[in-house]
Amino acid sequence: MQNKLRLILWTGGVVSIAILIDLLFIELSHFSVIFTLVLVAIFVFLIREDHKNNLIQEENNTAKGKTSTEQDIQNTLTSIASLLNQQMIIIDTEVDRASALIRDAVTGIADSFKYLKNLSEDQQQMLSTVISHQQGIDDDKSMTIESFVHDSSATLEDFVQVIIATSKQSLEAMSFTNEMSRQLEGIFSLLGQVEGLASQTNLLALNAAIEAARAGDAGRGFAVVANEVRALSVNSTELNNDIRIEISKAQAIIEQLQGSVESMASADMTSTLEAKNRVSEMVEHVGDVNNKTKTVVEELTLLSPKINETVEIGIRSLQFEDLAHQTLTSLKSNTETINLLYQEMNQFDFQQGDSAEQLNVLQQKCQQLIQKADYVNDNRSVSQSSMDEGEVELF
Amino acid sequence: MSVKKQVTENSKKIEISIDGRFDFSLHQHFRDAYVNCKENGQVFTLNLSTTSYMDSSALGMILLLKDHAESHSGKVIILRPSESVNKILEIAQFHRLLTIEQ
Repeated sequence: MQNKLRLILWTGGVVSIAILIDLLFIELSHFSVIFTLVLVAIFVFLIREDHKNNLIQEENNTAKGKTSTEQDIQNTLTSIASLLNQQMIIIDTEVDRASALIRDAVTGIADSFKYLKNLSEDQQQMLSTVISHQQGIDDDKSMTIESFVHDSSATLEDFVQVIIATSKQSLEAMSFTNEMSRQLEGIFSLLGQVEGLASQTNLLALNAAIEAARAGDAGRGFAVVANEVRALSVNSTELNNDIRIEISKAQAIIEQLQGSVESMASADMTSTLEAKNRVSEMVEHVGDVNNKTKTVVEELTLLSPKINETVEIGIRSLQFEDLAHQTLTSLKSNTETINLLYQEMNQFDFQQGDSAEQLNVLQQKCQQLIQKADYVNDNRSVSQSSMDEGEVELF
Repeated sequence: MSVKKQVTENSKKIEISIDGRFDFSLHQHFRDAYVNCKENGQVFTLNLSTTSYMDSSALGMILLLKDHAESHSGKVIILRPSESVNKILEIAQFHRLLTIEQ
């Protein structure tokens, strides 16, 4: 349009100048008119040619410029597309990695929580056993330290009573042996009397023998009798001595018996006293330990449910994996949108028809993608933002 | 180490004092101190305030004295035992059997 206007202006200008030159320098004549017309025709032809050339050049120029702009846009779009692609791949990889990490971590944590729960239950069971043992309620026959110490104390007391009873009976036995000893002394004095009789008999026999000797032959028979009587008295003395020796032996045995009885009766009570003190201390100590153990065990019993509760809170908190997984999944839908955009941009080619139309199509596609993304965003599955909501039992 | 005997109030109260060690060696003297007291209702007071040591035979002797006293409707009182002697009496649980006066 501009070229045509310029052509008309140029033609008008040249015609006007030709007419002006005619008017100024050359008298109006046929020749001058023809000359002017020829000149104008030449000018007009030249201008038209020029104009044509200009138009062609301009057209060429425009075509050239247009092609280079399209190329630039194409290149830019390709760059953007490859950048999008690169970023998308990175995001995808990272999202997958995060998912895997969270899954692994959650599996590990869940396992450890499970293990912790089992341990806590075992502990609870052990504590129950300890408590029942402590109270001795599960088995009456079971021996507790407490009952053992009490039994020891009772045994010690029985032992003391036995010692005392033994002493008492030994002392009674001792008085019997003393009595026996005195009886033996009595036998000794009787033996002395018997000995006196024997010596008197001996003396009598001696006198009889002397008298028999003085009587001569008449007393010869009596002398034999006197000798026999003397022999009897000697025998009697010997027998007496034997009895004395035997009784002395019996006395010695009684003395040994008294020694034994004495050692039986005399037990030193010092060690028993110490043992008794130790047992008393033990009773006190065991009572003390029992009380302390009871307190600690009771505290531990209260602790176990708390551990369980804490573990359950931990397990419940593990649903963050779900939430995180959902978040990551929805992030994937975003990368898919980017992927679609990338594909659209890849399909974009200026070689296939009108560029404006193509751009228009691309714009429309973009709008569609935006709408779709908005829709997806509105319907995001992750609406839960807090872990405390709801209870999820993973096991 | 000796046994002393005091008889007061018409032979109704007999006090036996043990000085030093109260062990088997005294058993004859101790027995002699009470064996001939055969009146009814006699009170035997065993003064252990100066007794330094006692073994099981002493406990046996005290029980024999108790048997003797009870067979004649009497009783035995242990007087002022020292700390160590008192511990032995406690182990023997004599405070259940006899009167122990501090």
